[in-house]
Amino acid sequence: MAMPAHPPDTVSAYLAQLRRALKGAPAGLISDALADCEDHLNNEISQNPELSETQILASVVETYGTPEEIAEEYRDMESTISTPFPKAEPADERRFGFFNVVSDPRTYGALLYMLLSLATGIFYFTWVVTGLSLTIGFAVLIIGIPFALLFIASVRVLSYVEGRIVEALLGVRMPRRPPAEPSTDQGLWTKIKEAFSDVRTWSSLFYMLLMLPLGVTYFVMGVVGLALSLGVVGGSIYSLITGEAHIQIQDAPYLEHMLHTAPGLIVFALAGILLFFVVLHVARAVGWVHGKIAEGLLVRL
Amino acid sequence: MTEESQYTRKFRKELMAGLSSLVLLAVLARAGREMYGYEIAKAVKAEGEGGLIFKQGAIYPVLRSLNATGLLHSRVEASAFGPPRRYYDITDDGRKALSEWQYAWRDMREFVDDALKAGTVPAGVTPDGHAGAPA
Repeated sequence: MAMPAHPPDTVSAYLAQLRRALKGAPAGLISDALADCEDHLNNEISQNPELSETQILASVVETYGTPEEIAEEYRDMESTISTPFPKAEPADERRFGFFNVVSDPRTYGALLYMLLSLATGIFYFTWVVTGLSLTIGFAVLIIGIPFALLFIASVRVLSYVEGRIVEALLGVRMPRRPPAEPSTDQGLWTKIKEAFSDVRTWSSLFYMLLMLPLGVTYFVMGVVGLALSLGVVGGSIYSLITGEAHIQIQDAPYLEHMLHTAPGLIVFALAGILLFFVVLHVARAVGWVHGKIAEGLLVRL
Repeated sequence: MTEESQYTRKFRKELMAGLSSLVLLAVLARAGREMYGYEIAKAVKAEGEGGLIFKQGAIYPVLRSLNATGLLHSRVEASAFGPPRRYYDITDDGRKALSEWQYAWRDMREFVDDALKAGTVPAGVTPDGHAGAPA
């Protein structure tokens, strides 16, 4: 607010200033604020058809507020809104240390996301590859352009849905509104140009392609991690109770030998429990990293 | 509001922080139907003596936070032109909060009025600006 910016005289200039004023805020908050603002300005324009855009913008700065004022309101409000997961308190983190991960809801959200991402990843990948191939194939036909627009619209809706999943399971703030369509009175060519010059269209496509390898990796990590750690714990305890050896490791005779003694089995069970916590930590870390990826590629600004 | 000092603006802002929620709940309760953001912004008569008390842009984040705390319910509806509209409606929790907050506000207002009447008018100056009026 140090430099009194020259007052915006078009809707897009106003939105650009608002975006600048919100720089550094969570991407989802910025997109919410821009959507609210765009909606209000559009209403203002359609309510006053006799006024020019410049005149309306001049009065909007008085009644709606300057971009800087609006940015401040959203920042203040965001700090009081409860997010899906309460922010972890650093003090707690230290008290429980390594095992604290078991009581963190984000861990289970991330674990669920890792298992789910195989299905969503395959679906997104198939959708995008099919859509892209058909779009290129249809490009020479008369239905090529409508099909391309339809495909891009579907990708935007999918990005929004993925955003909702990411926010619910990973706790990263994502847009809370469906993607806004540009105003309908624009010509077909403007729409196409807009869609193709929008970086987010391309980054969303890239995200959906990326989701196949990521989804497979997450799923394998999750399943192998859980199966191995829980299997070792369960197997060791079962062997301890029944007195029979169930775990066989053929290439390592000394390990095999350990598994026939009670202390060896107890060590194994403890190692399995430790491994389980390591898996939980890995899941939480994957969730955090993936949240960053989704925020970077999916949020339309 | 152009002549107001930085302190006064900060003071107004702090006053409005809680009251804007009360005002918005009252507007939606009185309307008795769902309304969208722009409609609510127009329904809030925010004209004060020195200009606008409350910027319309500040309504939207408050609506979002009331929605997040469950005092309002919202749904999104695609509109024929422009971006989809978010409609807000007051919930039962919101009505309960409104009736409680009304009492809190009345208590507060009386308390503040009393305090202002009792103490702060400096000796010899009435609100009309006449010097030396008899008490």
